[in-house]
Amino acid sequence: MINRPSIVPALLVFCWLPPATAQAQTAATPVIASAAETPAGLVKRSAGTVTLLRAGLSQTAQAGVAVRTGDTLRTGPDGAVGITLSDDTLLTAGPNSELVITAYAYNPTTQEGNLLASLWRGTLSMVTGLIGKKAPEQVKVRTRTVVLGVRGTEFIVDAGEGTK
Amino acid sequence: MSAHASALNGRPVAWPAALSTAMVTLALLAGCATPPAPIVTRDRVILLPQADDSPSAVEVIAGGQRLLLDRPFASAELRNGSLAATQSDAETVRKTYGTLLAQQPARPRSFMVQFEANGSRLAPSAAPVITAMRDALAALPAAEVVITGHTDRVGSIEANDRLSLVRAETVREILVAAGLARAGITVVGRGEREPVVPTADEVAEARNRRVEIKIR
Repeated sequence: MINRPSIVPALLVFCWLPPATAQAQTAATPVIASAAETPAGLVKRSAGTVTLLRAGLSQTAQAGVAVRTGDTLRTGPDGAVGITLSDDTLLTAGPNSELVITAYAYNPTTQEGNLLASLWRGTLSMVTGLIGKKAPEQVKVRTRTVVLGVRGTEFIVDAGEGTK
Repeated sequence: MSAHASALNGRPVAWPAALSTAMVTLALLAGCATPPAPIVTRDRVILLPQADDSPSAVEVIAGGQRLLLDRPFASAELRNGSLAATQSDAETVRKTYGTLLAQQPARPRSFMVQFEANGSRLAPSAAPVITAMRDALAALPAAEVVITGHTDRVGSIEANDRLSLVRAETVREILVAAGLARAGITVVGRGEREPVVPTADEVAEARNRRVEIKIR
C-alpha cells in the first residue's frame, strides 16, 4: 500500500511507450505469409517435420513458404529444410535444428546488406551469396558458443543438442 | 585421501596443495558419479570446398579464441570451451551430414540475353537462351526468376539505374507474354555497376548492355 504512489508513475511511463511497439507488432503479425514487404527468402526444399515460427504463430514450412527477418525454423528428428535468401545465400538446416534469421537486409541494386543467422541447435549448411561476395564482414553465423566470420564460402556448422 | 589427512594433522603450509588436490579429486568424482554424461555443447565447423574450387575461408571465434579454416574440410571443434583445429573429409561429411546436405536448395543459375542495338527488342540470339532457361526453371521447386538489367557507362549513374530497370522490365514482359507467372519474377536495375567488360566512364560497350535472367 505504501509503495503504490511510487509504482503508479513507473507504470504510466511504461504504458506511454508501448503504443508504437504495439502498432509495429500488429503491422508485422498478420497471418503468416501475407505481408507486402519483400521476404528475406523462400523455402525451396523441405522434408519431414519443419515448422516456421513468427510472432507466436507457427505453420508448416513447405516449399514456397516465405521466410522473413526474425523467423525461426524448427525441424523434427526427421526434418530438414533448405532456404534461398534474396541475395542467393543458401541456408539448410538438418534434423533437430533451430535456426533463426536474426538479421537480414539486402539491396539488390547495390548488393549491399547484412545477414546474421543463429543456429541454436542442430546443423546448418551454408553457401554464402552476393552479400558475402561484396562484404564478407557483413555475414555472420553464430551458435550459443561460437561466432563465424565468413569469407565467400561453403561450410557446415554443428551446434549439437545446443544445451550448455 | 592421505594428503588430505596429513593436512588436517596441523601443517598449515600444506593447505593450498592439499585443498587443490581435494578439489580436483572431488571434481573427478563428481564427473564419474553423474550417471549419463551431461550433454556438452561441442560445436563443430567444417569448411567445404567451393563448387568452383576457388579459395575460401571461415574464421571461427569462441570466447577469446580465433581459428581460421582455409583448406577444404578443415574443421574447428569446441571442446571444453577451447577451440581445436581438426580435419574432416568428404566421406565423413557425406555420412554425418547427408540428410542435411540433401535438402540444400539448387544453386542459382544465370542466363544472359542481349538487346538489339538502340532498341528494347531482344537480339535473335536470346531465343534459345530463353528456351534453355524455361527448361531449367521447370525443374525447380518454388522457382523464382530474378531479372537484372545492366547498362554500359554512357550517361549518369541515376539514368543508368533507370535504364537498366526498364531493360529488366522489358524482359519480364516478354517472359510473361510467353506464359511465365508474373508473381514469380523480380526485376532489378543494377545500372552500370557490374560491367562484363570494364571500361572508362562514358564509353559505349554493347556487351555491357545486357540482361541477366537468374533462376533459383
